[in-house]
Amino acid sequence: MTALLSIQQLSVKLQDKEVLSSLDLTLNAGDILGLVGASGCGKTTLLNAIAGFSKPSTGQIVIDGKVLSDKQHYVPAENRQVGMIFQDYALFPHLTVKENIAFGIAQLTQTEQQQQIDSLLTILKLNDYQNSYIHQLSGGQQQRVAIARALAPKPKLLLLDEPFSNIDARLRNELMVEIRQLLKQFDMTAIFVTHNKDEVFTFADKMAVMAQGKLLQFDTPSIICQAPNSYQVADFLQLGSWLPCNVDENGAQSLLGNLDISAEHGTQFSKVHLLVKPSQLILNTLVDENSDTNTNTNTKPNAQVDYISVTEQGYHYSLSNIDSPSTDQSLAFSKLSLYSDIALSLKQHVQLSIIPHNFLYFTNRGV
Amino acid sequence: MIALHNSKTWTYSSYLIALVLMVPVLVMLVGGISASTQLFAHLWQTVLPTYLENTVILAFLVVLLSLIFGVLSAAIITQTDIVFKKQLRWLLLLPLAMPAYLVAYLYTDLFDYAGPVQRSLRTWFGWQSPNDYWFFDIRTLPGAALMLALVLFPYIYMLTRGAFEQQDQNLIRASRLLGLTAKQSFFKVALPLARPAIAVAASLVLMETLADFATVQYFSVHTLTTAIYDTWLGYGDLGAANALASVLMLLVLFVVLAEQRSRAGLRHQSARPNLQRELIKLSSSQQVMASFFCWALVIFGFLLPLALLIVMAVEYSNVAQLSVLISTGINSLKISVIAATVAVLIALSLGLYQRLHSDKYRQLPQQISGFGYAIPGTVLAMAMLSTLGPIDHWLNGVAEFLGFAAPGLILSGSLFAIIFALVVRFSAIANGTIISGIKQIPQSLDYAPASLGVNLTGSLTKVHLPILTPTIVVAWLLVFVEAMKELPAVLLLRPFNFETLSSQIYQLISDEMLEQGALGAILIVLFGLLPIVLLNKSKEEV
Repeated sequence: MTALLSIQQLSVKLQDKEVLSSLDLTLNAGDILGLVGASGCGKTTLLNAIAGFSKPSTGQIVIDGKVLSDKQHYVPAENRQVGMIFQDYALFPHLTVKENIAFGIAQLTQTEQQQQIDSLLTILKLNDYQNSYIHQLSGGQQQRVAIARALAPKPKLLLLDEPFSNIDARLRNELMVEIRQLLKQFDMTAIFVTHNKDEVFTFADKMAVMAQGKLLQFDTPSIICQAPNSYQVADFLQLGSWLPCNVDENGAQSLLGNLDISAEHGTQFSKVHLLVKPSQLILNTLVDENSDTNTNTNTKPNAQVDYISVTEQGYHYSLSNIDSPSTDQSLAFSKLSLYSDIALSLKQHVQLSIIPHNFLYFTNRGV
Repeated sequence: MIALHNSKTWTYSSYLIALVLMVPVLVMLVGGISASTQLFAHLWQTVLPTYLENTVILAFLVVLLSLIFGVLSAAIITQTDIVFKKQLRWLLLLPLAMPAYLVAYLYTDLFDYAGPVQRSLRTWFGWQSPNDYWFFDIRTLPGAALMLALVLFPYIYMLTRGAFEQQDQNLIRASRLLGLTAKQSFFKVALPLARPAIAVAASLVLMETLADFATVQYFSVHTLTTAIYDTWLGYGDLGAANALASVLMLLVLFVVLAEQRSRAGLRHQSARPNLQRELIKLSSSQQVMASFFCWALVIFGFLLPLALLIVMAVEYSNVAQLSVLISTGINSLKISVIAATVAVLIALSLGLYQRLHSDKYRQLPQQISGFGYAIPGTVLAMAMLSTLGPIDHWLNGVAEFLGFAAPGLILSGSLFAIIFALVVRFSAIANGTIISGIKQIPQSLDYAPASLGVNLTGSLTKVHLPILTPTIVVAWLLVFVEAMKELPAVLLLRPFNFETLSSQIYQLISDEMLEQGALGAILIVLFGLLPIVLLNKSKEEV
């Protein structure tokens, strides 16, 4: 695999505020990258910098061996061979579907244009609408026109700015699969921006998580899911719930029992946040309220139900610790997610335990 | 916002255009302010206090009357179940097409001592002389104010009506749920919310009043505009005329600044304007009063003057008049077509510059060039004369030095000056229209062409200009009509023996012979209807 896009030390300032700072990114030809991050994290600015709509203050952007932007060079947007699909599609309202698609290929001969248009119309199932105006089309059809128009000049890289945010939730998945197949069919390298991680899991080969102008993690979606490299990544992607633990040489104490995590030789940490996925939690036998006096810690309740929602698979519970005067407040937890088909009631006390596994924990919450 | 282009040529030409449009006014202001203090002292001791006083009183009365007419009619139309509402809604806009000086002339004709109304009254009641009865004297300052208010109130009506209709109905609903009656919620919610729009409209009326020349001249009410005209054409004193124009200019500047201050931070935009509103039910006596009020405005502001003009045209028209009409009409067309075209081209260039250029102050040229609308035609004419005159002299000097025949007043004494003045004055209209059209284009359409490999020229010719075509047509028409109607600037700047429709009609009015030009007057009114139809149509579409 060769790198199609290479970005090094890229910084962008907008109104004197650094929106991107020293960002590095490499993308292989044919890969689809999903760029996620909270709004304002700089992902749209990154797209704009690649497309040539905002000028970096430092750094380099190279596509297919050609330097598009660095200290000496600044290739204007129209000469970059970078296509873009806009959030609102930006279709030209005064042109027909066919004229929209032909817009970027005016330098070709009439016959070549026609061939190109015909093949795109067929692939995108727009044959019946080629002479329609944009306002006569449905949202999904408009998006297909936007894709056809962007693909017509055969860009080296395609950028998609929140491409699915205007699509009905019910159709979204189907459409994502369809467009992914299409991009693969054209062997297109693409970057798409979203704030919805599920779109990345469905649509992308690679995933990049951004926060505050920096790239936090860049890998395949499955690796990021299994091994997030920071509290922020795991928290933003909502990979599980957080359980605070105190750690010493003997192991880790939590309000859900002791865990097999020990402070390694020389490490300073005494407190960690353990990532707990719903599948790693066991709901033990229901405990009667009166058994609170039971001295056996294995059956003593350690959590209470705060919120219940119904899902296709059963119930989703949000739990927190049971407050008592003896509780160590630094270990208190809340919003622990649990899926179960057993019906519990609100405020009910239960006993939870954690399946021993390769524990994933972070010492630091913030940046 | 990320801007796309950074061409230096575009920047220089934009600033140059804006500068050129503003230079004459700056020259005049400098000339006026640096005019000898002696001159000012002399003016102050003689006529200036009266002129200022008259101007201010006139402005106050016109705004007051227009507010009463405009806000009340807007409230009646939007908040009540008045009969013929659909018709009145647009009929109330029509007086805007009627030049105030026409109304003034026609009503003087009608209501003067020798006019048909007083004559009939005398006959019926057997009165012998003016001492036997009291009758409203129209040729006074309050009379002039009434004439102006009759044709200017639609500005207030239009903007206030718009504000009422755009108001978030959920605010009104909320006030109703909190226990207010429909009437109470109008006074406590709707009216306060409409205040910014009313303030803007009032300042428009104020500016139009300060710019008026023909009405006050006809009524012999001495204001700053008539003083400028008399000082220049009567006494040939350019310095004094400049000084007076500068005073008027400062007055206008004050209004503009006050208006912008009042607008700052006051934005009540609505997200849900289209909810059904609940109307105040009028009792039958209220229904009669409201109808009387609205129809009186429509009749006295438009229908009656138009009818009088038509009667005149039918009675007095002849072939000789027709040929004069055609020749003056062609002159009017000539200057208006050129002025409209130039103004629209400038507006397009500056508007697109503002939208697409990366210059940090890209909105500046457009803002500067829009300032001309506030400048009264008389002031503008003085500005042209004081700027172009010296340039002409210099050109003649150069020509003679080089051994050529002196070309004469090729700038200040030709159509160039008139067209220049019209472009400065009406650029703001073209700007406003074009800018609002450009704002309708989604930002992403600026980027889409570049992402498809198309450069700026391609983007302008294939995307922006085609999308803007309807806007361009509207902007052109609006400037065209205003240029057709403009009087004072044309009157002061026209070359010898060059008459336009409006200057011709003004001459006839001055000579009390409007009958000779009734057809031309009707034509001006009809042209004036054009923007109203356009404006009303675009309002309906909202």
